[in-house]
Amino acid sequence: METIHLKKAIQPELTIAQWFKNVYYAVKSTAVGMGITFKYVWARPVVTIEYPEVREELPANSRSRLYNDAENCISCLQCAVSCPVDCIYIAAVKRPTDAPKIKTKDGTPIRLDLKQYTIDTALCMYCGLCTTVCPTECLTHTTDYEYASYTLASMKYDYLAPDIRAWRTRIVKS
Amino acid sequence: MSSHHEPEDKILLGDQEILKSDLLTLNMGPQHPATHGVLRVEIKTDSEIVVDAIPHIGYLHRCFEKHVEHLDYRGVIPYVDRMDYLGAMSMEWGYALTIEKMLGTEVPKRAEYIRILVAELQRIASHLVYFGTYGIDMGAFTTFLYCFQDREEILRLFEELSGARMLYNYVWIGGVWNDINDDQLNRVKNFCDRFEGELKKYHQLVGENKIFIERTAHVGVLTKEQCFDYGATGPVLRGSGVNWDLRKNRPYGMYEKFDFDVIVGKGEKGTVGDCWDRYYVRIYEMFESIKIIRQVLEGIEEGPVMGKVSKIIKVPAGEIYMRTECPRGELGYHLISDGGKTPYRLKVKSSCFTHVSMLPILAPGQMVADLVATIGSIDIVLGEIDR
Repeated sequence: METIHLKKAIQPELTIAQWFKNVYYAVKSTAVGMGITFKYVWARPVVTIEYPEVREELPANSRSRLYNDAENCISCLQCAVSCPVDCIYIAAVKRPTDAPKIKTKDGTPIRLDLKQYTIDTALCMYCGLCTTVCPTECLTHTTDYEYASYTLASMKYDYLAPDIRAWRTRIVKS
Repeated sequence: MSSHHEPEDKILLGDQEILKSDLLTLNMGPQHPATHGVLRVEIKTDSEIVVDAIPHIGYLHRCFEKHVEHLDYRGVIPYVDRMDYLGAMSMEWGYALTIEKMLGTEVPKRAEYIRILVAELQRIASHLVYFGTYGIDMGAFTTFLYCFQDREEILRLFEELSGARMLYNYVWIGGVWNDINDDQLNRVKNFCDRFEGELKKYHQLVGENKIFIERTAHVGVLTKEQCFDYGATGPVLRGSGVNWDLRKNRPYGMYEKFDFDVIVGKGEKGTVGDCWDRYYVRIYEMFESIKIIRQVLEGIEEGPVMGKVSKIIKVPAGEIYMRTECPRGELGYHLISDGGKTPYRLKVKSSCFTHVSMLPILAPGQMVADLVATIGSIDIVLGEIDR
């Protein structure tokens, strides 16, 4: 058996005068607070955005859904290397020498044929490091934010698939 | 005090023996709204008096320190954000300073100013979350809504600057990511002018309220000596009456150029080092932050925002310990480098971890409701504790 000592909370001594002072101060401070909240009924603008009806426009450099414009991609792998979570999967083969020479929009020659460009969006942490290293600026964060889905597999975006490439007109602003 | 109590133990509250029934073990958390995250506190109570409180942590452990050993130095910054997600800018800044000191990188003047600006805005945003949620802990819901409206303005600015609302990845090694434009600086100025008046009203509404004072004064008293014993920092240390602020005592960045006061708890409504003092320190720190932001807006210079950093960062072999004053206290980075592309070891000294370890000395003798007030007043973020 041992004795446990707990320290007692300090309580200021309560006299009758102090008791009346306390009541007065409590009523006064509550009234002041009520006055402040009363003013705020009208002083504040309405801030609630009624979401499905009113959609918020995100700032231009918001980091939301990633989009890769596959025609301008030179398969340099810099995005995949810089990705901290390794969620970018790229496969490319050497372009045959007899194939016609193609260039990206800014004039960089494409020497590799892109065979796969997949980003696992469920794994992505939207840090933005991949878009800053992209030399042709084909990989960008768009301001598109409504893309919840039911399965993990559908969060894997294959940017060479025609249905995902069709987003370009909708979400990429140039 | 031992954490295991036998049923036949005698319990003295002050010098009075309390009517003792069997000790009841209560689990507060991990999904309790008063624990601000996933903290579990194992409480042993006798009727309503807490006899012992043991914090259990680790519910948010992400293996940060081991994981960053496999990342390049730039890739660590998004992870650093996720430690103290309410003060992410300050976390990034501390990390960037650590690497810059090792590399010997010169940071442009404009970037330094922007860093101080975002760090102080972040301090305001973080203290607003504390203020709002502490109000909820004490049963005042109104300020929570007011605080989050003001915080929204800061987050909106950060979203325009960096692209994200909470996990910014904005302060980079060698500077900052994006430049700030005059329109945004103007908005910050307007925010400061408006917010200063608002904050005075919030303080009147909550801090001066008698009910709030009764709930917080004389509750959860931490003495100076206890703070030194456990290594408490930040507002908790200053609330106990110690004049110690790294921004003043060990200036980093450009803080030595700025004029501001260190707020110290004086025991105005109760004892020095009680919950009300810690509240007071945080509220008045926001006013000091506004003061600093005003000086930044006056002194900000034109120029580049990114210094010269090589594409692949290789930190020379060696060791460094760098600490900064974050909204919740001192944050230290201990980096060991072997000269490679990744850190050999990166140890983080978190202030919240220290503060939560003080619960076993704070809690005994309190009522359960006062324990809620105490946990709220030390303002912990579990992301930083568990890492």
